[in-house]
Amino acid sequence: MSAVTNAPARPAAAKRGSMGMLRQLLPFLGILAAALILPAVSNDYWTLIATRAAIYWVLVSGLNLVVGFAGQLAIGWVAMLTLGAYTTSVLVLGNVTTPFPAFVALAIASAVGAVFGFIVGLPALRLRTFYFAMTTLGFATIVTQIALAWQDVTGGGIGVPGPVLPAPFDTIIGFYLFCLGVAVFCTWITANVAHSRFGRSLVAIRDADVAAESAGISKPLLLGSVFLFAGACAGFAGGLFATLQSYISPEAFTFELSVMFFISILIGGRGSILGPLIATIVLTWLPEFAAPLVVWSTFLYAALLLLIVLAVPGGIASLLDFRSRRKIEADRTIIPRPELLPEILGDRTTPGAITLKNVVLSFGGVRAIDGLDLAIEPGQVHGLIGPNGSGKTTTLNVICGFYRPEAGSVTLGTKPLAVGAPHTRAAEGIARTFQTPRLIGEASVLQNVMVGGAIRGQGSFVESLLSLPRHRRDEAMLRHDAMLALNIVGLGGLAEVRADRLQHSELRFLEIARALMLRPRFLLLDEPAAGLSVEEIRCLGLLIRAISRQGTGVLLVEHHADLIFDICDHVTVLNLGRELAAGTPAEIRVHSEVVSAYLGS
Amino acid sequence: MPISVPETLLEVSGIEAGYGKIAVLHGIDMRIAPGEVVSLLGPNGAGKTTLLRAIAGLLPWTAGSVRFDGRDMRDAGPRESARAGLVHVIEGHRVFTQISVTDNLLLAAYDLPRRERAARIEEVLETFPEIAAKRHDKGGALSGGQQQMLAVAQGLIRRPRLLMLDEPSAGLSPVLVDRVLAVVSDLRAAGTAVLLVEQLIEKALAVSDRVYAMAQGRIVLEAKANEADLPHRLERAYFGQDVPTALHA
Amino acid sequence: MLPAILLSGLAVGAVYALIGVTYNVMFSASRVMSFTAGQLGMLGGVLGAAFIGVLGLPSIVGFVLTLAGCALVGVATEIIAVRPVLKSLEQHLYVLSTLALALLIQQFTAINWSTEPQPFPTLLGFRDGGVGDEKFWLPIAACAATVVGLELLYRRTLIGRAFLAIAEDNFAARALGLPERNLRMASYALAGVIGGLAGFASGQLLLAFFANGAMLNFYGFVPVALGGLGNNRGAIISGLGLGVFQQAANFTVGGVFASVAVFSVFIIVLLVAPQGLFGAPAQRRV
Repeated sequence: MSAVTNAPARPAAAKRGSMGMLRQLLPFLGILAAALILPAVSNDYWTLIATRAAIYWVLVSGLNLVVGFAGQLAIGWVAMLTLGAYTTSVLVLGNVTTPFPAFVALAIASAVGAVFGFIVGLPALRLRTFYFAMTTLGFATIVTQIALAWQDVTGGGIGVPGPVLPAPFDTIIGFYLFCLGVAVFCTWITANVAHSRFGRSLVAIRDADVAAESAGISKPLLLGSVFLFAGACAGFAGGLFATLQSYISPEAFTFELSVMFFISILIGGRGSILGPLIATIVLTWLPEFAAPLVVWSTFLYAALLLLIVLAVPGGIASLLDFRSRRKIEADRTIIPRPELLPEILGDRTTPGAITLKNVVLSFGGVRAIDGLDLAIEPGQVHGLIGPNGSGKTTTLNVICGFYRPEAGSVTLGTKPLAVGAPHTRAAEGIARTFQTPRLIGEASVLQNVMVGGAIRGQGSFVESLLSLPRHRRDEAMLRHDAMLALNIVGLGGLAEVRADRLQHSELRFLEIARALMLRPRFLLLDEPAAGLSVEEIRCLGLLIRAISRQGTGVLLVEHHADLIFDICDHVTVLNLGRELAAGTPAEIRVHSEVVSAYLGS
Repeated sequence: MPISVPETLLEVSGIEAGYGKIAVLHGIDMRIAPGEVVSLLGPNGAGKTTLLRAIAGLLPWTAGSVRFDGRDMRDAGPRESARAGLVHVIEGHRVFTQISVTDNLLLAAYDLPRRERAARIEEVLETFPEIAAKRHDKGGALSGGQQQMLAVAQGLIRRPRLLMLDEPSAGLSPVLVDRVLAVVSDLRAAGTAVLLVEQLIEKALAVSDRVYAMAQGRIVLEAKANEADLPHRLERAYFGQDVPTALHA
Repeated sequence: MLPAILLSGLAVGAVYALIGVTYNVMFSASRVMSFTAGQLGMLGGVLGAAFIGVLGLPSIVGFVLTLAGCALVGVATEIIAVRPVLKSLEQHLYVLSTLALALLIQQFTAINWSTEPQPFPTLLGFRDGGVGDEKFWLPIAACAATVVGLELLYRRTLIGRAFLAIAEDNFAARALGLPERNLRMASYALAGVIGGLAGFASGQLLLAFFANGAMLNFYGFVPVALGGLGNNRGAIISGLGLGVFQQAANFTVGGVFASVAVFSVFIIVLLVAPQGLFGAPAQRRV
């Protein structure tokens, strides 16, 4: 029955997909065509400038994943370019070792860049934004100082000659085409990552890191891979840069250059590939149009950055994003279709209940949870109510692993759940939503839902880089399930809309759709009805009921007494971190202590 | 049925406000007469604190109007509101812990003429002998109850015409709760209007002239504090349905 | 030799410490770490050299004008790069807006002043290059004066207490009716004066050089990271310690390894004690 109603929608969507794909590809193809024609219609000078732009893009494309996608403000990435340039030059020159062939040296430079990219990137796991920015800046300063002082190897202030690639890449045009080829390859692989579960996870880490953790996304693993990758790109670009310069000294690697890379990405727009590509080309060419601009170029970049930050936070990409300006229907209603639930929630084993035993947790001497016992049974809706500060959300966060209880245990079936490790919950089939919806505003509704299924993918980061079959299977599966989840919660019609254009109530349902992507055995809902209209609350209640009837255990933290009493199988009332009462809704409703805890007196 | 009052000090009409996309207040109407003590009750998440913040100019509202003493408060920030005599004591006795009690009061008197500050501080310290004894201690050295007294004292320094107190009893022992609410009675006697947000219904009703109840961003009940059957009507308003009378035993 | 190392270390350290305090003063008022802190130090040196060395104004006039100029730049930072992003939900925009403004200041100076280090005029006449040289004592004196001045400000004046109040609990301060925006602007002006003072006093030591801004940004941030955000005492002690450590390492193992050592210590401390060695001031319970 559901298949019938869905049938007409699918081919249309597929057609729209391939059309959209072509439309997305067109600007890239246009830029490539222009790049290929350029040497034929201009002179060597412009070809050299274009070569430089291509080399910069090799670095920026990798850095884009770090800055634009993962949101890590690496402002000193020129250090990797420096390392790559010196590694290649010194290895080819042979003043330390026997001379290496140029391509081997390039590969080693790439590896050196990757290693240092990883080392410099690691602090990002612990440090706040500004601290991390300063760390990369400090590292760039140190690298330049070493290049100046380590005269035996780097030639100090005088520098070393850059390598020359073997024929046919030793001519201006040959080298240009080689760099262009590398740039095209980098564009392709970064685009593959961007459109994979890894790319979406990176953006999730940037914009909704707590939600990313709850979806099981491992921040260290993912950021580590990306820093390696961005370092490798920059190291390779360094080798090409040394070749282009034919002679390198520390002066070539200024902070201004680093800032240019960084600013290209932000002017281009975070989370975009086309935008930063255009920005890199423009910023490389800009100073060449008029001589005075050479002096003022960094000033101009900085002014552009300020303008972007204050006026167009989305950068060039947002200016080019016509789709998001298309009108969406203003008068929308959410009509969930719980009858589709078996398609996503069917065929799962139930592992037993989540059990909290005598859990204690204090914040600064105040007991937020004070010896709490709680059991969330599969297939039941368990309501958790109580006054502000009674420990409801804290309890939820203990189950999710965000807080470490001082005493007591949290088990799933017979197995204890790891404390203080929220990213492990997704693999256990525990999904959650948040009091304030935590979503990626800049991503589409569909992509937001797909983030929820990130851990269900099979392919590795490298497979995604090269778009191998497993990557494509993952994508198809995630897309299909995400569409299904959206139809279930009643947002199917908004799949392609940017999430920040949705109304508040729709965001709440969107979070549930994202949680469904885990095919959860347990679903923890933190005030899902807050800010919803009466009709929406009714739909929400039906949906939650239906989810639980598929065997999923639901924990419902709510203020709305009506909703709790309507749909719960069991209710626990908390007060001051302790259980005040527990029982069926009917029992709770007439419990005098509960009423007085709610009403005072 | 609106209760007729001779004169209106605060008039809130159709206020809508929220945080970002989340709308919290859906068209709130409220009036307070000079010298009147009004309690604002309601379950958690009803929007009481949000309403107080909106009235005080701490949170911009998207629709409706607030008039205080006949003046339109649309663009007035918290500073202008306080100057006009509309003073808000926020929840959680958030006094400044790194500076002394006297300095906390001095800051509350920031806008007053330099000459008057000392006299005003002595004036409010007379009202609160328990913190007067600790005037040179840092705010952080006070107990929770003393911090709450200090927070109220900060509000009184301005000699407000309307004092808004957000859960002044939260986290205090019963004795201290009575002490804080006694201040409200004193203010009423002195002719200062008070808007009191409270969880402790009976204690709040005891010091109030009138009561508003909120639920889910709306006013669901307005009554005189001495009306019969109020607790019962409040329950109905909160839970949206009748509660068996068995529990009023 | 030892006294010379110690003296030059303390002198450089005093500059780092003052830039650290500049960061802190801006941070306390707005929760924003601004890249313009180091640029204010750079401007102190460049403006001083311009007013006194180039225009030939009397030292005291040049000094006052320099501080006034830096105060203006501080206020401009608040208006251009901080206020517009404070309300944004995007938390880290300030890193970008202040970086952009810092680059604008740096490049403007490079183009209109010089890209080479320029000499800073002698102020008092003690230039023997030895332990009595004013180039060492001026930064140390500036640091001492700032410590005393800030102490007086925070303990003796109402506006100083208002600064403390805003730093501790911005919302409560606003609710109390404190003029939060004006106080924030005043804080940024104060930060400008402190940064400018650091640059002016170290003009002879570091010269009037546009690239000092980026250098001071990093070396001035190290004491903040070590001392804890917003902790001025921690910044002063860490800054002086950093200066002495760096000069000692410079002298014993050479400049490059000294930089590497400073960077390594910085990273290690950050990873081991993200709150800094002295801890950040007490945070309000949430």
